[in-house]
Amino acid sequence: MIDLVTSSSTEFDLTFTRVTKFYGAVIGLNDLTCRIGPGITGLLGSNGAGKSTLLKLASGQLRPTQGEVRIGRLKTTSTAAKRLFGYCPDVPNLYEEMTGEEFVRTMCALHGFPDDEVRDRTEAVLKEVGMTDRAQRKIAGCSHGMRQRFKLAQALVHDPQVLLLDEPLTGIDPGGRQEINDLLFRLAEKGKSILVSSHILHDIETLADQILVLGRSRLIASGSLAEIRRLLDDRPLVIEIISDDPRSLAAELMTFGQVLGCDIQESRLRVRTKNSADFYARIQDLVVNGSQTIRQMQSLDEGAEAVFDYLQQGKHSS
Amino acid sequence: MNSLRAFKTLLQFSFLRLFWSINTMMVLLPVVGCLLFILRRGFGKLTPPEKAFDAFGTFLVFVFSSFLIPICSLGFGTTALGAEREEQTLVFLLTRPIPRWQVLLAKILASLPLSCGIVLTSFAVYCLLVGSIGLKALLIYWPAMLGMTVAYVSLFHLFAVVFRHPTMLALVYALFIELFVGNLPGSIKRLAINYYGRSLIYGLGAAEGLKTPRGFEGIPEAQAYWTLAGIAGGCLLAAFLLFQTKEYRDSA
Repeated sequence: MIDLVTSSSTEFDLTFTRVTKFYGAVIGLNDLTCRIGPGITGLLGSNGAGKSTLLKLASGQLRPTQGEVRIGRLKTTSTAAKRLFGYCPDVPNLYEEMTGEEFVRTMCALHGFPDDEVRDRTEAVLKEVGMTDRAQRKIAGCSHGMRQRFKLAQALVHDPQVLLLDEPLTGIDPGGRQEINDLLFRLAEKGKSILVSSHILHDIETLADQILVLGRSRLIASGSLAEIRRLLDDRPLVIEIISDDPRSLAAELMTFGQVLGCDIQESRLRVRTKNSADFYARIQDLVVNGSQTIRQMQSLDEGAEAVFDYLQQGKHSS
Repeated sequence: MNSLRAFKTLLQFSFLRLFWSINTMMVLLPVVGCLLFILRRGFGKLTPPEKAFDAFGTFLVFVFSSFLIPICSLGFGTTALGAEREEQTLVFLLTRPIPRWQVLLAKILASLPLSCGIVLTSFAVYCLLVGSIGLKALLIYWPAMLGMTVAYVSLFHLFAVVFRHPTMLALVYALFIELFVGNLPGSIKRLAINYYGRSLIYGLGAAEGLKTPRGFEGIPEAQAYWTLAGIAGGCLLAAFLLFQTKEYRDSA
């Protein structure tokens, strides 16, 4: 089965066909099949889920143990394929002795462009990532966010068709995130295929229109943001509510079809629900009607790990 | 886009990065130390000339070829590629449209002139400081010094391809195998590159009065040259084959 994660396809689609990658006896990626086309595709998964392995396979740094990875008709390990993608790794290290401008210029020159074109491209890409005024700073003295931008610049400098970004928003302040998101949206509008990895659901939600979710080295969900959201809305959730009258609130909540059980500890009430979206809608009605007073309400397992665990279970049971 | 231009950029970048690295300073320190030793020892003032030639030859065998050449080769041979691995910057080169063999070739071509340049220049300076005896040694021994340097650089490049922290391992190798095992009696010393270099030095210098120490059984010069060439060729071939297929997950 092919999970088609794209709205349209081009000659530069990134295609994984039954890809398995072993590191000795350890499996890094298990039987992955998908196609990534134009637009922004989010790659979501907890640490160790296989995101970096997937990106390293896509950038030709690793060879699949089974299956194949191609950009268009080219294997990603081929030299020609490397002209087609830009890769932004998750390592913080760059050439520390260089300035940001020297780093990007060198990376551009390693694509074999003539000197004047290297200069023009470097200038343009530094402007695009918002680093023109800080380009002459030594990398050794740059913050994590500035390094991320220089890494992004080196991935963009040869105007690749496919962009592979491993946790590009890590360490970037909210303003910077917005700028980088805007840049990625502009590139997506130009028809570029962009694969962005993150272990933070929110980062991907605001950026990607298509999502791949990895868990324990497998593709456990894929599709549009709406489809993934629907899956998440159906998952069981534990919600903690602080109320003036938890017993009466518990009695009322138990009448909700989606509530599986309640535990009371003094003023705290822990509710287990099987459909969070419906539950939130109904409890909102309770508060608006004034029949119950709720001082605080929080989900106890909203974290990415819980989301991935839930999707993982769903994958096994399906 | 031009592949040759990309290779030229990589070669230039690798050379300058090595030249301006701390390694250049670290390699020059023992070179200067030996220079001071030669000035103090005054080999040129020893008489008769055969005794002076023998004393200077002994210095070349036990200090220059056993210690200084491995250190100079190690300083650039392991670092050219090893620093990229240790600093996790190799990924930026491996994701450029440059074939892997060209990446390694650029690293080797960048480090060879530096290692050979420092070895041969320091050798020439030492020889000229010693005087006429030294000049004779320079003309006789320079091919042996060059052959040893190329063999060491090739071996240390193989270390850099195989090991994640090659500098430390190469240092242990240089001190244990080359300095210790290479001076042991019996045939075990043949494990050291140094043995073949010493065979060359003793063989070439015999006519000028250099005495082969008791217990050292060298091999003929031609055989020693071929062995050094074989070590260099074999190590480079193995390095290219491994680098072509090896997957670097240093950042994982």
